[in-house]
Amino acid sequence: MKIKYLYKLLIVAFVAIQLVACSNNSDTEEKFEEGPTARTNAQSKKLDDLLLSSEYGWKAVYFTDNTQLGGYTHLFKFSPGGKVTMASDFDSDAKKYDSQYEIQLGSTVSVVFTTANRIHLLSDSDSYPIDDLKGQGYLGDFQFLFYGEDKGDIVFRTNRKFQELRFVKATAADWTNLPQNTIMEQNVIGANTRPLFRFLETSDGTTVRQFDFNFDVITRFATADPIATGFSESYNIGIGYSPTGIVVSPAIVIKEQALSEFVYNDADGSFTATGTNGVSATIKYSNKPLVLTDDYKILLKGQPITGFGYIASNLGNTSGNSLLCKTLLNEINASLPAAQKVNRIEFTFNDGGDSYIAYSFTGGKATLYHNVDVIEDAANKTLILKHISWQTATALVAEPVLLKKIDQELTNPKGLYIKRESFKLGGAPNAIYTFTSSSSSFRLATYAFQ
Amino acid sequence: MKIVNQYKKIALIAGVVMIFSSCAHEDQPKESQLDFNQPVQTDLDKWITTNYLDPYNINARYKWNQNTVDNSRFLFPPTIDKVQPALEIVKQIWLASYATIGGADFVKKIAPREIVLVGGVNSNDNGTRTLGIAEGGQRITLFEVDYINRQNRAIVSEFIHTIQHEYIHILNQNKLFDEQAWGKLTPSGYTATWHLEKEPASRELGFITSYARSNIVEDFAETASIILISTKAEYAAILAAIKSTKAREDIKKKEAIVVKYFKDAFDMDFYALRDEAEKNTTIVINGN
Repeated sequence: MKIKYLYKLLIVAFVAIQLVACSNNSDTEEKFEEGPTARTNAQSKKLDDLLLSSEYGWKAVYFTDNTQLGGYTHLFKFSPGGKVTMASDFDSDAKKYDSQYEIQLGSTVSVVFTTANRIHLLSDSDSYPIDDLKGQGYLGDFQFLFYGEDKGDIVFRTNRKFQELRFVKATAADWTNLPQNTIMEQNVIGANTRPLFRFLETSDGTTVRQFDFNFDVITRFATADPIATGFSESYNIGIGYSPTGIVVSPAIVIKEQALSEFVYNDADGSFTATGTNGVSATIKYSNKPLVLTDDYKILLKGQPITGFGYIASNLGNTSGNSLLCKTLLNEINASLPAAQKVNRIEFTFNDGGDSYIAYSFTGGKATLYHNVDVIEDAANKTLILKHISWQTATALVAEPVLLKKIDQELTNPKGLYIKRESFKLGGAPNAIYTFTSSSSSFRLATYAFQ
Repeated sequence: MKIVNQYKKIALIAGVVMIFSSCAHEDQPKESQLDFNQPVQTDLDKWITTNYLDPYNINARYKWNQNTVDNSRFLFPPTIDKVQPALEIVKQIWLASYATIGGADFVKKIAPREIVLVGGVNSNDNGTRTLGIAEGGQRITLFEVDYINRQNRAIVSEFIHTIQHEYIHILNQNKLFDEQAWGKLTPSGYTATWHLEKEPASRELGFITSYARSNIVEDFAETASIILISTKAEYAAILAAIKSTKAREDIKKKEAIVVKYFKDAFDMDFYALRDEAEKNTTIVINGN
């Protein structure tokens, strides 16, 4: 009978298995109400609906890499059927162009601009701003992964670098005012008529700090290095343009306040971002160098003889001379006969106790000398050249009308900032000394002769 | 044993009933959640369907899809207006020429199933540009579509060169050429730094172009495609300009392998193909 019990047991076991086989007590608990496909579809639809929902479309200031490049403003108007109208401030062409877009599934739901338009200008391997980016264009993406909504913005991450990119609802004014971004670019570059020195000044309400400000228009990137010693923080910021000013990324953080939107003031060419409790950051101009040097002291009375010369053939077209300086030199040349040009402007100090400026010319015109008294303004660290007399090699003469304007800059009563520059100019090994007016945007570059 | 048999029967019936009825309450599959709606067909899409998909079963892709391109490169899709002119050139010079000489079904049998168009330049680290890629006998990617200008002979020639070159790869990927015989002709001239070599110097070594020096597969594709895009007279002039007799003979030997390959593998007269391609190139450049 053994086998009989065995069968009984087997049958009981079999029936028991059948009874519990379809229990509803599933161990895997459903975390979502919908399956993954339904959720992905819903997300795709949500993104497309969002893109289509804004009457004037969306605006994105795209900083492709805010460690070396600035921001490029793009406007998008999405239409049903996969059409998108786009405009950007990548260059002066702010017109609208049509192309196509799709909602595609990549690592997540994403919007892809599937045919070429303005945003693809950032992803052209053959068009790069600096040699380091050869083959990489402006590091731009045109596939953006959908990460949801935040306060009315659509939050994306870029496909390659996973950077956050926000689409903000655009207005009618955004479209009409986009060409003004190009005008604003000129203000960020800075007009030649503005003062020579520019800096970023930050205030936390009590302490004011200054940073030497330099902007590169090719990359739309600015660096601001501290002027005062003992303070090492620098600001390296990408800059995007707006009709009213600039947007910077990363934001300048002062007392935990992030300042990123700067407003332009055409009166003085400054850009200001204002926080609360006295916190602010301003990019502004100054006629005064940020760092004053004692380089002028070797020119003072009692020092050994020294000479410095502007030589037109070497230094005429160099960046060492300011626009005002070049303009005045050109005026002189224009009023001379065709064969004659300004050849040199030489400064000689302490030549047997005398100091003078010698203006020499090509084409046989006699050299003119302006004898000056050398006075120190120790408080402002300037050197004042005060008129004594004009002469040729042989006789005293009246002030030459030809040289009046440029000479007024060099002998202006507030004096000159003298600086031994770290750069070399015009292919000569000589040290460069600049003579900069403390009351205008005049700067003349010279070679040191000792 | 009777009771055992009874148990057996009962259990069997119970079991079978249970199996049939047990999972009856489970959800049945409903309508698919996948979106099977066809995207809106633009005029361009319809043109592609009529001219590529229907006759040749080739899909011409112009819309960006990151899965068909190298995502480490900074490329971009073509401008819409440039797509049809590019595809017209491809159709006229490549598809029509092969159809005429190789038979109407030739390219239908041996053709890439996909042509991917990219608008921008594909720059390489060494300063060269990749003009086209042929992959697995299945796909040809053509770059710089946005730069195509039918009126500019140099640009059209370069684009046609790319198509012919890549299609030779597709043919090779379907039927191998005599690599051993080829490899014995100019074995010492191959170099990874071909882009630093000047073309006249490469020709003096028995290579039709500098790029041909990268490896024998490229050498074959360059030799065949240069002959295809040149007229008989132009090709004769290339050979005549070579000073080294050995180099000239080597190129001629390579040409002979190409001609033999087309005859043996596809029963095609290579020179007739060249003449047909030349005729179609003139049609494209003249805008007819």
